[in-house]
Amino acid sequence: MTLLLQLLVNGIVTASLYSLLAVGFGLVYRSMRFFHIAFGAVYILASYAVILMRDTFGFPLSVSIIIGLTIGVVGGVLMDRLVYLPLEKRSAGSGVLLVASLGIYILFVNLIALIFGNEVKILSAGIAPSYTFGPLIISRMQTVQCLMGWLLVTVFWFIIRRNTFMKGVWAMGEKQRLVRVLGLPYEFMRVVVFALSSLFAGAASLLVALDVGIDPHVGMQALLTGAVAVIVGGVDLFWGWIAGAFLLAVLQSLAVWQFSARWNDLVTFGILIITLLFRPQGLFAPIRRREE
Amino acid sequence: MNYILHLLIMIGIYLILGYGLNLVVGFGGLLSLCHAVFYGIGAYATTMLMMKAGWTFLPAVGGAVIITAFFAFLVGFPALKFRGDSFVLVTLGFQMIVFTVLYNWVEMTRGPYGIPGIPRPSVAGYEISSLPAYLLLVAVMLGISVLVLFTLYRSPFGLALKALRDNEMAAEGLGKSPVHLFLFAFVIAGMIASVAGSLYATYVTYIDPTSFTLDESIFLLVILLVGGSGNRLGPLLGTVFMILLPEALRFLGLPDTVAPNVRQVIYGLVLILFMFLRPQGIAGKYSPR
Repeated sequence: MTLLLQLLVNGIVTASLYSLLAVGFGLVYRSMRFFHIAFGAVYILASYAVILMRDTFGFPLSVSIIIGLTIGVVGGVLMDRLVYLPLEKRSAGSGVLLVASLGIYILFVNLIALIFGNEVKILSAGIAPSYTFGPLIISRMQTVQCLMGWLLVTVFWFIIRRNTFMKGVWAMGEKQRLVRVLGLPYEFMRVVVFALSSLFAGAASLLVALDVGIDPHVGMQALLTGAVAVIVGGVDLFWGWIAGAFLLAVLQSLAVWQFSARWNDLVTFGILIITLLFRPQGLFAPIRRREE
Repeated sequence: MNYILHLLIMIGIYLILGYGLNLVVGFGGLLSLCHAVFYGIGAYATTMLMMKAGWTFLPAVGGAVIITAFFAFLVGFPALKFRGDSFVLVTLGFQMIVFTVLYNWVEMTRGPYGIPGIPRPSVAGYEISSLPAYLLLVAVMLGISVLVLFTLYRSPFGLALKALRDNEMAAEGLGKSPVHLFLFAFVIAGMIASVAGSLYATYVTYIDPTSFTLDESIFLLVILLVGGSGNRLGPLLGTVFMILLPEALRFLGLPDTVAPNVRQVIYGLVLILFMFLRPQGIAGKYSPR
């Protein structure tokens, strides 16, 4: 029973990280309707920028984090301005964007691996202290992850509900052409979408990297986690993304309890395929008639 | 000399994979990210049949082809309900699932330890262990696969696939069933990949799951995206380029520690540039939409 409770707590902590990834990936996927694989590149870019700032230029950690997140955001926006937007102006379909995005991902991962090496980089040394609540143990870093993650996601949830501009961004996913017709600043909206998406990627990556370190090849896993959460929860529902992330995290920690952590991928992609087959609109989305 | 023979053997194996995948990607217009799965299942099935069941090489290849066809059917049947991004995602999901199973089902596959000491193939009582003999075997297998595939490319089946690729609804209106034709193409591609897997396993005489990862699937897709697909020339150019590029880098004197990364950087750049300049690849007939 204690073990189950502990796993549930761990699940909630993991879910906060997964929700960040889901929101980051979902923003682009929902409003631009293409598969932003390079999201995984932004994810590692932010953490490595922090490592560079702290270790090479000797900034304190807090300043490095701010600079690192900024570099991540600039990187994400530049990917759009230099690759996606020009491609879209040539009326490229989502297949071309997907392949180009894959190219960006491969490029960034290996550039970073060339500079920093393929091995794991540690951001914070030493074992973090942990708190005990009765039989439950939660480390300090887990507390930070949980609080930061849920704070960011909740704040953003309010923004996307209340702010007119973000409502416009949300509507962009329905009819992209209509955005210009309505006189909304289409290119600026793209910049905002990519900046926010990269910010979420950077935040998630730093929260993980500060805990267990980072290596150049974890970006793909992060991207896939976010993507699966969004698609399982339902692309058209913001709270569905969070619910998807939560479901994924809890099921994974249950799988750890029953089998072992090595089978996590089986759980993740098993859920994905089953969802796509039986409820392609997402588990939490209402069933709509096709003509709606 | 041995080095050149080795390169030719690898090119032969990847040509089999590339031409097989060409049927799905180039003719069907479906970006599949699980081709390494069938390559891997073929390799593992051949190894099991030879080492555990004691079959000789050729029956083992045949058995592996049938086993892989079964798995390709299992993967293709659900995956082909989707098009576009969803298809990519579902095939990617199967890639990750099969890799997880191969890696963690230690009793069956020995997982990360791999299977060493796979016997060399022997055909008609003659054991093939020297490089030239092996190259001949690969060439014969490549010849058979290519003969089958080229016939399929030009057959009504290949043309129907192209029609479905270009306009699925119109082709369906002409009575071409996407369910049957795509599934058939997918299974054939899987069977051909299985042959390549058999050759790889017996050539290297050691397999472990890390040869059949998502990266390998991406590599195979990049072969077709760079060289081009939907015809006969594209996969050839793509394979030669992708296999010889790392060797060219080696001659430039790059140390082995950075060479794999430099190679991947070039692949990434090439992919981005091609999407701008030539989405159909060097000599292809199909460009992703």
